[in-house]
Amino acid sequence: MASNAHETVDIYGVKWSKWSAALSRRFDIIVAIILFLAVTAAFHLHVMLLVGDWDFWVDWKDRQYWVTLAPVITITFPAALQYVFWEKLRLPFGATFAVVCLIFGEWMNRKFGFYDWSYFPYSLVWPATYIPGAIVLDVTLMLTGNFLLTSLTGAIAYAILFYPSNWVMLAAYHLPVEVMGSLVSVADYIGYAFTRTATPEYLRFIERGTLRTFGGHSAWVASAFAGFLCMLMYIAWWYFGMLMTKVVTVPNKMKTLMGLKADPKRSVEAI
Amino acid sequence: MFKFLKKYARQMRLVVGLGLLASVSGQVLAHGERNQEPFLRMRTVHFYDMKWNTTEVPVNGEIVVSGTFRLFPEWPGNLPPPKRVFLGNGTPGPVLARTESWIGDVPAIQSGQLELDRDYTFRSVYKARIPGNHHVHPMLNVEGAGPLLGPGNWLAITGNREDFRLPIDTIDGTHIENLETWGVGTVFKWHALWFAIALVYMLWWLRKPLLMPRFLATEAGNDDLLITRGDRMWGAAFMVGTLVIVVAGANWAEAKYPRTVPLQGGEATWEPLPKQAASVKIAVKRATYDVPGRSMKINVTLTNNGPKPVQVGEFLTAGLRFVNHDVPVAMANIDPLFPKDLIPPSGLKVGDNTPIAPGESRTMMLEATDAAWEVERLTSLINDPDNRVGALVFFFDADGNRSISTLSGPIVPFFGAGK
Repeated sequence: MASNAHETVDIYGVKWSKWSAALSRRFDIIVAIILFLAVTAAFHLHVMLLVGDWDFWVDWKDRQYWVTLAPVITITFPAALQYVFWEKLRLPFGATFAVVCLIFGEWMNRKFGFYDWSYFPYSLVWPATYIPGAIVLDVTLMLTGNFLLTSLTGAIAYAILFYPSNWVMLAAYHLPVEVMGSLVSVADYIGYAFTRTATPEYLRFIERGTLRTFGGHSAWVASAFAGFLCMLMYIAWWYFGMLMTKVVTVPNKMKTLMGLKADPKRSVEAI
Repeated sequence: MFKFLKKYARQMRLVVGLGLLASVSGQVLAHGERNQEPFLRMRTVHFYDMKWNTTEVPVNGEIVVSGTFRLFPEWPGNLPPPKRVFLGNGTPGPVLARTESWIGDVPAIQSGQLELDRDYTFRSVYKARIPGNHHVHPMLNVEGAGPLLGPGNWLAITGNREDFRLPIDTIDGTHIENLETWGVGTVFKWHALWFAIALVYMLWWLRKPLLMPRFLATEAGNDDLLITRGDRMWGAAFMVGTLVIVVAGANWAEAKYPRTVPLQGGEATWEPLPKQAASVKIAVKRATYDVPGRSMKINVTLTNNGPKPVQVGEFLTAGLRFVNHDVPVAMANIDPLFPKDLIPPSGLKVGDNTPIAPGESRTMMLEATDAAWEVERLTSLINDPDNRVGALVFFFDADGNRSISTLSGPIVPFFGAGK
């Protein structure tokens, strides 16, 4: 170790002692594991609360609300992490990392919560994928180096890619079947057969309004609308990511009342 | 040894105590149906003529639950009316697969509207899926009011979960061997593919020094060393590859499943049974619940408006059937598979059991006494802000014909002292 401490290496144009470089690699691993678990938990909770049933059940994955809601809600953490990863580290995989964490968390939830614990089959509860859109979002940021251009192009691509990248899995569940003289999709029948006691059919918020009359292509119209919202959401969460990297402390005003020296000025003012 | 026992006596007492507690605790298998407020069970939906075709079945075996329900005319004012209702089943998750459900002759695969003070027949068909002992209820989910459970029966499912199959043929001729696993192979492969692509994409950077070195280099403004031309080429290749795979994948799905339909979100329309005027009118004069005696006593005036003399045969509320043992036709009306715990053995005591003649009005006492009031947690009725009892009363004539009347009125608790 002692000899390593004096030998230096050049990493990205900065001189490091070999010992420090080796230590920083261990630091990478520890932080990566912690970050993976933290983002998995936080992002998964966020999606469970805000996308919820649309993400849980195959008979909620409609052409209107699911297509609109899922990209808009899931571009949040990718945008925030992109700020941190790109601005502070020049790492162009903040979005991909975020959605890998999310989908990992979702599969753990589906396996242990839905399948093992509650007996729901995977055909009813498989999660959507967001990885294609996230890769495009990351590469857009890397190539443009500009968050505004990324929001104008990458965020729209994130939303537009959502439906076709999931149609590969979903199409099989939209085959038509006749059940008791009624036409339903396979997804409808799976949702009907494997009962959710506290989630009756009427709770499904699907295919409402007149969008379905839009030449039969309501999924694409919904995707375009989602793209517009994703642009705005991306900027908002990019800024949120920026705030997260600032260390903010609030001065304790009570100190002066107790005769102690006042805290320095709010560091938030320096933002 | 004794020193040891003395030293850890407190801890050992705790362990022994917990062990004893665990040994006397029963298995918890039901799902909280008794926790529903009494007004939800007494004054919303009354299920009667309930039948279960079996109480023991192997995996893949068929279970048929059928019966009739009446939506109580004095529906609680704090609940929304049954504008959107779904015929569900109260089970611990999807331990059964529902294959059919009907209200009258109309499928109940979707939700629809029901009318108060009307009767509907229903039939649900299930396929046994998860082995174990399961409590199976019929249930109406009412939008805004939540799940309203009917009587539950225990069902024993034997066999292996792995043997379960739910096949179906699609309209375009595709045979699906098992809906439980349909499409899952594609889902797993597609997710695995994208996981792999994402990991390879990220590994390009993960293999190099990461956090502190990149942070310091960024601070030093060495951008060109952090994102090289090679990095950009790598990223661009992934972007193009991603777009190609997504388009190719979507086209593959379109070609493989050319005929698809959107999710179906329509509503059903169900017709109630023809309305029959209650041949006996019930006026509640006074109803009390004797808390220590676990007894409901209702003083009623019964007016027989029908053509034949009738007797009181059964008092049904919250799934409990207090049957008058002195009326054989009422006793014969009990299905052998109906859950015994919902038929209190003491039955219904009727003040005057002689038939009520046509046109006659008679005031008498109906008494339903049993620990079931406590067991079913219906005694919490006295805590309701709207303290009323609701029930169906079955009357039988000498030919075995039945007429059903609704009973409703305020109820006063009796705590064993005072009036």
